[in-house]
Amino acid sequence: MHPIQDFATYETRRQFFTRGKNALGMAALASLLGNDSSAADHPAKVAMQYAPKAKRVIYLHMVGGPSQMDLFDPKPEMENWFDKDLPESIRKGQRLTTMTSGQKRFPIAPSKYKFAQYGKSGMWLNSELLPWFSKCTDDVAFIRSMFTEAINHEPAITMMQTGNQLSGRPCLGAWASYGLGTANADLPTFVVLVAEPSNKEQIQAISGKLWSSGFLPGQHAGVAFRSKGDPILYINNPPGVSTDVRRNTLDGIKVLNEQNAAIVGDPEIHTRIAQYEMAFRMQASVPDLTDFSKEPASTFDLYGQDAKKPGTFANTALLSRRLSERGVRFVQVYHNNWDHHSNVAGRMPDQCKDVDQPIYGLLTDLKSRGLLDETLVLWGGEFGRTIYSQGGVTKANYGRDHHPRCFTMWAAGGGIKGGTVYGATDEFSYNIVENPVHVRDLHATLLQLMGFDHTRLSFKWQGLDARLTGVEPAKIVKDILA
Amino acid sequence: MIRNPKLLLLLLSPLTATAAEERVLFNRDVRPLIAEYCYHCHGPDPGSRKEGIRFDREEGFFGKREDSEPAVMKGHPEKSPLYTRITSTDSDEVMPPPKEHKTMKPQEIAVLKKWIEQGAEWQPHWAFIAPEKPAVPAGAPHPVDAFIRERLTTAGLKPSPQADKRTLARRVSLDVTGLPPTPEMVDSFVNDAAPDAYERLVDKLLASPSYGEHRGRFWLDAARYGDTHGLHIDNYREIWPYRDWVINAFNRNQHFDEFTVEQIAGDLLTKPTREQLIATGFHRCNITTAEGGTIPEENLANYAKDRVETTSWVWLGLTSNCAVCHDHKFDPIAQKDFYAMTAFFRNTTQFHSDKNVRDTAPVLVLPQGDDAKRLDAIPAEAAATGAKLAERQKAIGAEFGKWQATAKAEVIENATYTKTLIAQVSLNEGTGNTAKGVVAGKPQAFALPPNLVWKPEGKSGPAAQVADGSSIDLGALGDFEKDQAFSASVWFFRPGASNAAGGILAKMDKTEGYRGWDIFYAGNEIAVHIVNNWPGDGLKVSTSDEAGKPDQWRHIAVTYDGSGKAKGVSIYVNGRLRKTKIESDKLKGTIRTKLPLMVGRRGGGGEVFTGAVQDVRLYSGVLSLKQVLAISELPDLRTILAKPVQGRTPEEKQRLLAFFSSGDPQSNELQAKVAALETEKAEIQKRSPVTHIQMEKVDSQPMARLLSRGQYDQPKEELKPGVIGALHPMPAGAPGNRLGLAQWLVAKNNPLTARVTVNRFWQEIFGTGIVASSSDFGIMGEAPSHPALLDWLAVDFRDNGWDVKRLIRQLVTSETYQQSSNVTKELIERDPDNRLLSRGPRFRMEAEMVRDYALAASGLLSPKIGGPSVRPYQPPGVWEAVAMPGSDTGNYKRDTGEALYRRSMYTFWKRSAPPASLEVFNAPSREVCTIRRERTNTPLQALVTLNDPQFVESARNLAQLALRSCKEDAKATLDFMARRVLSRSLRPAEIPILEASHAALFARYTQVPADATALITFGESKADPALPPPQLAAWTMVATQLLNLDETLNK
Repeated sequence: MHPIQDFATYETRRQFFTRGKNALGMAALASLLGNDSSAADHPAKVAMQYAPKAKRVIYLHMVGGPSQMDLFDPKPEMENWFDKDLPESIRKGQRLTTMTSGQKRFPIAPSKYKFAQYGKSGMWLNSELLPWFSKCTDDVAFIRSMFTEAINHEPAITMMQTGNQLSGRPCLGAWASYGLGTANADLPTFVVLVAEPSNKEQIQAISGKLWSSGFLPGQHAGVAFRSKGDPILYINNPPGVSTDVRRNTLDGIKVLNEQNAAIVGDPEIHTRIAQYEMAFRMQASVPDLTDFSKEPASTFDLYGQDAKKPGTFANTALLSRRLSERGVRFVQVYHNNWDHHSNVAGRMPDQCKDVDQPIYGLLTDLKSRGLLDETLVLWGGEFGRTIYSQGGVTKANYGRDHHPRCFTMWAAGGGIKGGTVYGATDEFSYNIVENPVHVRDLHATLLQLMGFDHTRLSFKWQGLDARLTGVEPAKIVKDILA
Repeated sequence: MIRNPKLLLLLLSPLTATAAEERVLFNRDVRPLIAEYCYHCHGPDPGSRKEGIRFDREEGFFGKREDSEPAVMKGHPEKSPLYTRITSTDSDEVMPPPKEHKTMKPQEIAVLKKWIEQGAEWQPHWAFIAPEKPAVPAGAPHPVDAFIRERLTTAGLKPSPQADKRTLARRVSLDVTGLPPTPEMVDSFVNDAAPDAYERLVDKLLASPSYGEHRGRFWLDAARYGDTHGLHIDNYREIWPYRDWVINAFNRNQHFDEFTVEQIAGDLLTKPTREQLIATGFHRCNITTAEGGTIPEENLANYAKDRVETTSWVWLGLTSNCAVCHDHKFDPIAQKDFYAMTAFFRNTTQFHSDKNVRDTAPVLVLPQGDDAKRLDAIPAEAAATGAKLAERQKAIGAEFGKWQATAKAEVIENATYTKTLIAQVSLNEGTGNTAKGVVAGKPQAFALPPNLVWKPEGKSGPAAQVADGSSIDLGALGDFEKDQAFSASVWFFRPGASNAAGGILAKMDKTEGYRGWDIFYAGNEIAVHIVNNWPGDGLKVSTSDEAGKPDQWRHIAVTYDGSGKAKGVSIYVNGRLRKTKIESDKLKGTIRTKLPLMVGRRGGGGEVFTGAVQDVRLYSGVLSLKQVLAISELPDLRTILAKPVQGRTPEEKQRLLAFFSSGDPQSNELQAKVAALETEKAEIQKRSPVTHIQMEKVDSQPMARLLSRGQYDQPKEELKPGVIGALHPMPAGAPGNRLGLAQWLVAKNNPLTARVTVNRFWQEIFGTGIVASSSDFGIMGEAPSHPALLDWLAVDFRDNGWDVKRLIRQLVTSETYQQSSNVTKELIERDPDNRLLSRGPRFRMEAEMVRDYALAASGLLSPKIGGPSVRPYQPPGVWEAVAMPGSDTGNYKRDTGEALYRRSMYTFWKRSAPPASLEVFNAPSREVCTIRRERTNTPLQALVTLNDPQFVESARNLAQLALRSCKEDAKATLDFMARRVLSRSLRPAEIPILEASHAALFARYTQVPADATALITFGESKADPALPPPQLAAWTMVATQLLNLDETLNK
């Protein structure tokens, strides 16, 4: 069977449509499910050009911009440059944030961390802070040559999420939902989890605009699961309303709506009926999803005991697996406090401790369940950091300002060639010297892994066929693909 | 791509015999195809144009070209390259090229062919031609009906019959006021047999103040109104008086042209009124930032861009945002036009950063009641007191003359080194890593952090600049106990963009319950903490005014008398005693801590101050006012006294006199009075509402630069303010500023404003505009479903003085509006989206209406109009999940009482976390202008109306109202509720369903009374104790059923 056809048949939407009674009502139902892509000429169908390798995505966004030269991009020669000024030949008059543009000096701060080689690829990694993750090297493709234009958080994170620095465009998860549709009608297609960092010295803003559907229909917006209170807003019945009371109420509503549909004739009323039934099923499935009590002790050995604590990164990593397992297409995780303008020595260990073992747990767990082949895991921030110190520098501690010209991201799973190291930076980790990858290129590659030609996955907006990758050219990073 | 259903019918239906006569119209039938398939390479944008061919202009079709025939030979498709290329089978020849992945459908090609055959008549884009009032077709007395029926007849459809009176009363009440009618209103309308009963109902609704709220709510989406700045820390922004202005403008039926001019340029009118200034808040609603590190020019470019885009969407229906980076691909908007328009908005006094304050200048202070009188009176009182002071100082002038001639700064300085001086550190070295100081009368050096930066301009010489990671450690100094009197002082300079709060001077251990003492700033307030264990055991005293204003040097001195009481703490700013407020007064335990005295942060992590500091001093005992004044005046006295007496300016002499006379009780008293008046003024301003307005700069002319590819750092040529060149010119004599722009927007020859405006009101009432893409009237926008009707309405609206109430009345009194919305199978097939208006409008209500409806039906809705925003029920954690530390909108503190039941338009709109239950129903974030909301149906919406306390509490109050009114009569109770929710009695078939539900629910709640009690105590309002809980609970759930019916949620 043709792989694309194969993909189409596993779509739940198909089964849903065959149950339909009247075409219009079903179109409305499709929109309810986030499956407005049913029509044959729908851009999402047209754009489906490849057999999808990644049927689900878990994107771990490290908010603030992790320091590449302290984690993935070692520059040992910088030892000789301690507290010397960054040469102008390297900086090339590049713009700076106004936080350091007034600084008279740009003293180089070599990383204080030791590095070692791991896996078959011999990838160099921070050997002090990543003891768990480093075991996964052979499943991971590193891109050391990511770059962006944005230099401040708000525009940079918006760029990374939506392909544009200004607010208002759909984010990656919304595009995935629009293109792939749902695989579990009882859960949202696109879920957002905001993990709480244990160190909160330099938190950055994250808000609903990052997971908005922009100009795509609203059902593609991310649904933020909460770590405190109800996991989905309003998911719980009010006090004093048991499941059978709720069922009784809904049964009455259903009959009354059906009676009214017979008089009024509006097919949308059938949508309303389905909407209430789906809400009821969602109420039943979410508690099961978020109930970790049936997870064996070995799960917590894998992800770390913090996974039992709601809101921790470990907890969201485990929840990500449970969501993926149930067919949620796109899980967007945010972990904050990577904005190390000062005190790298104080903050970096906390940051790595938060994420190191849980990421190992997630990758290992997905692999052992046979899910990693179809689940793409992506890790990275919105930009990198400068080799020079913001404020003063000592060998033991320093700060780093925002740096859009190069940074490292990694991907694993669904369609990724493990053990790959792609791209390189100069000896200052300041400029890219080999295989630059723009945010757009990453987006195009991601879409291809999901089966889409990024030039064709589009939505009609303001007269344009608007796309995630915009109007500028974007290239696929073929070398990281399996 | 064929947008004209009529033409579609022509091409697809077997009725070709009649359709053969159908004329293909360029604007309606051909241009959309050309735009879709050709414009990308052959449109207005020279950047992407191929082979110099452009089909956005007439000559592109028919003009001769150097090497080939014109693209179109009228009457001859087979000789027209446009047609032959499209139908070519050669993959190198065929258009559009295969790599574009756009293939024309056969019926679309047939349209082009027919157009050429019929003579290829060209038309300019319809929306850019000023509308003329077309003749009203015959067939119906109401013009709207006449146009609608003409089209229906062509499509072979008949209008639907009139809706029944109850449905109609409900529909029109919702459309005019946004609220359901009361059962009494419905009954009185149903029983009114007079022929004008409906018109009188409409007039009554139009006169209701709820009308202005409802129209205003739509407008606030366009204005992108919000209660926070929108970006980064997303702090509170006070601009609700603008919202009140909008409501009021609709209620007093301000005509739309005036409404436009006042919002765009109220400040530029002659002697603008307070109201006209408030109106300019429209363009202060855009999102702004104060993120550290952002680049001022980039921020200002973004603000101007937003204002041009919003203006274009709202008034012109044009997507000018497409011209930010290049000439518009489809519409005749040059990139140059876009930036010329930004010039109108780049000459205001607005700063690039919102500074994270509620009142980012320019603002208008709106003192209420007595405050307004006091604010008027204070300047005269201050002047009178100042005159007395001058007189007194004159009297002591003789002594002063002698003193002035001989005074030396060193003497004054030395006098500040009293025996009580514990330590002094100047922090003005300007270099190196050591600070010189004096401790117990002896010099002592302090090590400075290696990464410390110096600010060249200090109060005396360069100043130490502290920041995160470079705070200054002063060791064991300041180790006081709570019964020791002491004083501390420091100069500090806080940049506006610094953290919201931080420790300036602190000997404190945050990890030990904040034990110790500090001088702290939070926003513009200065606070002193003396603490054993916060918050239960400690003192906090803070200035109640703007003592710690940013971006200027401030001298802070604090004295504490060792009494252990808050009243023993005094705070001086620039040598003047400030009025303080006591925030905590319960110190019991020790205040000693082992952590060092820090300049620029508290001990134990966090609360960093980023800014400059100088002259840190610690004294034992309480300094006198004169001593404090000497310390704070020293830097300036040094400068002044260094000059010869003759060389001192009058201001400088005045400074010296004030200092000299600080020992004189009478002068001190007068000075204190002056200070008190200043404080009073500042306090009135602080407690008065403010609103953001626009103010033109007086010393410069509007101008802007073209930004290459939209990049702020690539400015190109300078541009004078200007409008879109392809549209009508600026009116003769119009000024080259925002006022001129406003006049241009409402000029009679503007082809767009009137059309776009009537279309938006049409959309509010009918759900979809005559032009469905209501923010895009450009070439790629949707063609109007009823072009002649749109033009008739636009001209009629404009020629009748842009009278909005008249327009709304016109729409809702049409028979088209009054049709039944029932659908038949035939109508679904022939008019699926009701674009032909073959039936009345029926669609899900917008977010705010859904909530207001439940509140109104249950009698909970507060009738209060206007005022500050409120915080009704919201699940915990919605703000907290996205809030930055230090944000003043980080914690959602729910209001109580009436504020819970206000109309939803008053709900506090935090833009990074919009009201949760409204957002689920497609309410926008209000970060950018929204002209048309989406209308989706998701399961999450059902969860809101079933589970949100606002809805559950409404259901219970509805049940309660019904039970009180109907006693034990179940049928009457049901009927009572149905009439409040559906505006009708229940149908016979509906009654047994609800009765069965009720019986089961009542049995259940009787069996589990604890559940009944839990349900009826949900929400703040109290359940009626006279009603047995199982009974009230069961009826509450029945009310929930009614409130969740599709019929209830739909208009």
